[in-house]
Amino acid sequence: MSALTALIIKDIKQLLRDPKSFFMVLMMPTMVMAMFVMGYGETRGAVPIAVVNLDGGVVSWQLIEALKNSGNFKIVRYAPTKELGVELVRRGEVYAALIIPEGFSECVLEGRSTQLVTVLDSAYATVSELVWEAVVVAVQGFLRMAAERYGTFNIDVVKETVYGPKVSSVDLFTSVVMGVLLHLVPMSLIAVSISRERERRTFEQLIMTPISSGHIVLGKLLAYSIVTVSDMLITLGIAVAILGVRVRGSLIDLTLVSLLLLICSLSLGLLISAVSRNQLQAYQTAIFLFIPSLLFSGFMTPVELLSPAARAFSKVLPLYYFLKAFKNIQLRGWGLGDVAWDCAALVVEAVAFLVAAVKVLRLRVE
Amino acid sequence: MGELAIETVNLTKVFGSFKAVDGVNLRIEEGVIFGLLGPNGAGKTTTIRMILGLLKPTSGYVRVFGIDVEKRRREVLRLTGYMPQHFSLYEDLTVEENMRLYASLYGMGRAEARRRVEELLEEFMLTEYRDRLAGKLSGGTKQRLALAVALLHRPRLLIVDEPTAGVDPPLRRYFWEKFRELKEEGVTILVTTHYMDEAEHCDRLALMSRGRVVAEGSPLEIKRMAFGGDFLELEVEGDPAPVLEEVGAKVVDSEVTGDFVRVRLLVPDAADYLAPLTRELERRGIRVIRAYPVSVSLEDAFIKLTAPIEAEAVAGCRR
Ligand SMILES: Nc1ncnc2c1ncn2[C@@H]1O[C@H](COP(=O)(O)OP(=O)(O)O)[C@@H](O)[C@H]1O
Ligand SMILES: [Mg+2]
Repeated sequence: MSALTALIIKDIKQLLRDPKSFFMVLMMPTMVMAMFVMGYGETRGAVPIAVVNLDGGVVSWQLIEALKNSGNFKIVRYAPTKELGVELVRRGEVYAALIIPEGFSECVLEGRSTQLVTVLDSAYATVSELVWEAVVVAVQGFLRMAAERYGTFNIDVVKETVYGPKVSSVDLFTSVVMGVLLHLVPMSLIAVSISRERERRTFEQLIMTPISSGHIVLGKLLAYSIVTVSDMLITLGIAVAILGVRVRGSLIDLTLVSLLLLICSLSLGLLISAVSRNQLQAYQTAIFLFIPSLLFSGFMTPVELLSPAARAFSKVLPLYYFLKAFKNIQLRGWGLGDVAWDCAALVVEAVAFLVAAVKVLRLRVE
Repeated sequence: MGELAIETVNLTKVFGSFKAVDGVNLRIEEGVIFGLLGPNGAGKTTTIRMILGLLKPTSGYVRVFGIDVEKRRREVLRLTGYMPQHFSLYEDLTVEENMRLYASLYGMGRAEARRRVEELLEEFMLTEYRDRLAGKLSGGTKQRLALAVALLHRPRLLIVDEPTAGVDPPLRRYFWEKFRELKEEGVTILVTTHYMDEAEHCDRLALMSRGRVVAEGSPLEIKRMAFGGDFLELEVEGDPAPVLEEVGAKVVDSEVTGDFVRVRLLVPDAADYLAPLTRELERRGIRVIRAYPVSVSLEDAFIKLTAPIEAEAVAGCRR
């Protein structure tokens, strides 16, 4: 067995035999995702919808008033044309668009039958159903009320569906949760790895063998990559399978981008590990380094809204490139080719961190 | 013979403002068991770590088999086995996993590694513990495992730092037997200890105190150095004083009981003096009842040598 293979196997064994690391690797993503599900999994409150009033007559406004009062949804947009209304659904800005056809008021006043077209986002089966039922109930209430004033007439509620991008809060937060789990967790996990060997004195015996600092750095990188890939797959798996996060682009592209961030995070963690004197220091450094990522990577505030200085700074953060690439694949359906620059940036940073780690790691016990 | 296994020149290590090792010059010939003695904090471990390139000397340099450790450390590592003072193998790996890991790190092929590991498991009575986590072993078993790992790649130089600290007497004996076997195979051994009785097993010794080597030589030479010669004890009938004065033996102690006199003498070399002295006494009509060399312990020698500098520290380390 080559020295490198032996080191990889050794580090994997140690990771899996250490309850604390095991917890970090396997329980952490599951728990964070579970909290995420509880917090964002169910859409609560009023459902945002759009209304397209092609009629503009008095009766149409009375219907809109009735819909507003139903309380189940909130009209957030009024669109001038049906196409625009449908587009809003397709873009995921609203869950549904209600289209009041031209001549609606006239028909009601003349006692003729008319329509209300409900364009639903079939990406959200349950929300759509909810909206549909609420619309039907609201329309029936309106019919009873209006019958007294205008005599009998009928409104058919017509259902149309489009497939929206399903951009919900869950979708928007997925990249952020993935970012934390693929950046902070692997980084702090591996950051303590070399200082732990120093503290447990195993480093003293290890560096008595004719291996180089490259062996140690690469061995740890590969071992931790192999183990934390499960981290990544679990997180992505929960997001897609349980939370129903929709990915417009390819899931494989998304996995690849995540893998790049993972490797980049591990490389940065190794650099921290190589310069730290003890585990505590390494932990603190990892967390300290995470703060700028939290603030400037587009994690909390979109990068476009930051000051120019902060925006320039965000360009050195691996998380910035990851969030950009991940969101573009997930929400816009871009391919790997479209996010090649972000991927390249992640690769460059990973290599830079690794080279630095190999260079600064001293095979000494002081 | 005659090649130097280890040569340190003005080796110095300063931690902050504290000189842990202060200008140590050692010349350790190939094939000897060399003991580095000294109380805790004397600088033994620091010296060893610099020899192995685990610490960078503040000044001075080290050559191992003529190879500069700072410049060509990897070559040195292939020739050197090291058993640190504290257990330094992976406690969360089993005995066999630890050995296999180190076999791979020393670049052994699969078949060779398996053969060597089996051999050492057998030799160090570790076979029954092969699947046990190293962290779950008793102190003595851990020490055996550590020595086995240090010997995996058949080093020409073995450096062991307090291998017998806290180890029960049978195992201490076992270790010293191993060291002698290894010496017979041509391995040079540098061993540190603060057990003075063990030091007697060494071919050569260096006594360290407060970072400096205060005495160096064979155990016998060190004792002579400490007291200025060997001790003889005589029991005679008659007055030996004139004869003793003639041959230059120094009387350290004497006791007169009637005609019988018991004297303790200091002579440059007990073996050279004993026979001629008795002969001379007999010739002058002084009956020699008993004459024998008095063995002094290294411990006494050590105390004598270091007393001016650190009487207290040494007393603290006597067991
Ligand atoms: N890394 C270090 N930093 C500061 N002081 C040290 C360090 N290592 C050893 N020392 C000090 O150097 C002195 C010599 O230590 P050491 O070489 O371990 O002695 P010995 O092995 O003879 O007991 C001790 O006083 C110890 O406290
Ligand atoms: Mg020591």
